[in-house]
Amino acid sequence: MPAFLAAYDFLLVSMVLAAVLALSLYLPLMAGQLSLASPGFYALGGYIAAIISTKVFPPAAGLYPVPLVLLEMAVAAVASGVLGVIVGVPALRLRGIFLALATIAFVEILRVISLNLDVTGGAIGIFGVPQPFASQIHYMSLAIPLLVLCMLFAARLERSRTGRALVALREDELAADAMGVNPTRYKVLAFTVGAMIAGVVGALSAHFINTWNSRQGTFDTGVSLMAFVLIGGSRTFVGPVVGGLVLTALPEALRGIADVGGLPGWLAQFLRDGRLIIFGVMIALGTVFFPHGLITPALLERLGRGRRHRVEAA
Amino acid sequence: MSAGAGVDVLGVEGLTCSFGGVIAVSRVSFSVPRGELFGLIGPNGAGKTTLFNLVTGLTAPTAGRLRYRGRDITGLPPHRIAALGIARTFQNVRLFGELSALQNVMIARHVRTKSGVVGGVIGLPSARAEERDTRRRALALLELVGLADRPDERARNFAYGDQRRLEIARALALEPELLLLDEPAAGMNSGEKRGLSELIRGIRARLDLTILLIEHHVPLVMDLCDRIAVLNFGELIALGVPAAVQKHPAVIEAYLGDEA
Repeated sequence: MPAFLAAYDFLLVSMVLAAVLALSLYLPLMAGQLSLASPGFYALGGYIAAIISTKVFPPAAGLYPVPLVLLEMAVAAVASGVLGVIVGVPALRLRGIFLALATIAFVEILRVISLNLDVTGGAIGIFGVPQPFASQIHYMSLAIPLLVLCMLFAARLERSRTGRALVALREDELAADAMGVNPTRYKVLAFTVGAMIAGVVGALSAHFINTWNSRQGTFDTGVSLMAFVLIGGSRTFVGPVVGGLVLTALPEALRGIADVGGLPGWLAQFLRDGRLIIFGVMIALGTVFFPHGLITPALLERLGRGRRHRVEAA
Repeated sequence: MSAGAGVDVLGVEGLTCSFGGVIAVSRVSFSVPRGELFGLIGPNGAGKTTLFNLVTGLTAPTAGRLRYRGRDITGLPPHRIAALGIARTFQNVRLFGELSALQNVMIARHVRTKSGVVGGVIGLPSARAEERDTRRRALALLELVGLADRPDERARNFAYGDQRRLEIARALALEPELLLLDEPAAGMNSGEKRGLSELIRGIRARLDLTILLIEHHVPLVMDLCDRIAVLNFGELIALGVPAAVQKHPAVIEAYLGDEA
């Protein structure tokens, strides 16, 4: 087990962070809003952490203090939240594909700004973001609680008054409006909470990958996140989490299968290099055969029927 | 703030709505006193549903004013109007199809409940109590419309007539003072229509409602309503008690004449 953790430490932490990021995209989607803004807030959070840890508290000898990482995550959450409201209020007037396009533009604007500012290190970015842990696997001690917290948040939200308002907007905005749900308010709320989560992940990621630059949190990240949510499932918070974990691990798993040997050369080659093709085929087939993703509320209900009955009886 | 006895629940004053060159509602005025069951009839395209959309804020009027319990509500967004106590059903049934019957009704408790994100997520005692109350009231409303046996069934799996009843339950969850029913009997057989008439009478008496009813089925309207307004090409051509409206020459020509 230690050997496994040591060999796959980077991948395991990446999987968990991907799951949290997928949740940040899932939140606006709960209200029916396809936003690809998460990578922008992720980038912002990363820069905040990188700047604080390299410039505000210049690196000293030894490990960087974990409380300072937590402080950076908090600052990233607040900054992303504020920017989320500022961007969300005008952007969420747009519907469907136009919102997606506007959020892509937002991500691009942030990227170009970060390329041109001195404080973000321009095109080079910020190197040597200090390490709070001796080993990469120890990032799990922050990543796992973050994932659990976000999952709990999403799970409880889905069963609350606010969650119902969001889902009502997704199902039929006009009817929800006529039933007293303020569409703008709840869309901006979902967008902002998603932004805050993405910002927090960015802050942690800047330390985790040791460097931060304008290639972090781009449109490509947005497409991956969308794949996590759409393939994993967009109707329950479990979908994006499973999607983020599994799809981040999948390329490595395929590479592992190819390396086992005994496979025909062309197949091993395909497993090694064809993962983008496999990804694409999965998204295409998924949208046709599983429009709500692989993990659906109905599936969870079947799995958890016994448990639920006990809860209801209590 | 209780409405004085003399104040009408709904006042429509010179209401006009045009889409481009098409005038859907033209200078319509009427008022509905508290407790009245007010019918709205007219041929297809007469502007009945547009009038409902105007009253509920889904469409902005081109001219004219709307008053609810004496208060000017012209131009307010739909959710504000809903919060004031005007609920509706839709001609083409607009339930939240993927959600259960119970969730559909619970959603409409939104304006009568207060829990925020934090309270709901952390599960504060006040939020939990409110949630239990919301659920209890929603179940009671499903009972009222005769759907209490299937609270967890997805809305879109219900038969058409049952979906219309579910929409009524959802609208009632808002605790409205004014209820707008847009062709609630459409697609129902005669037995279901009788049941619906009883339901409408029942909720009106029990919940102290003022009801605006659009309906194509003339016997049902004549039987239920205290007064009837007849629209034709967006204009109000007759208004009065059913017996008088039925004999009105303009109505016979515009509407009942076609039926005969």
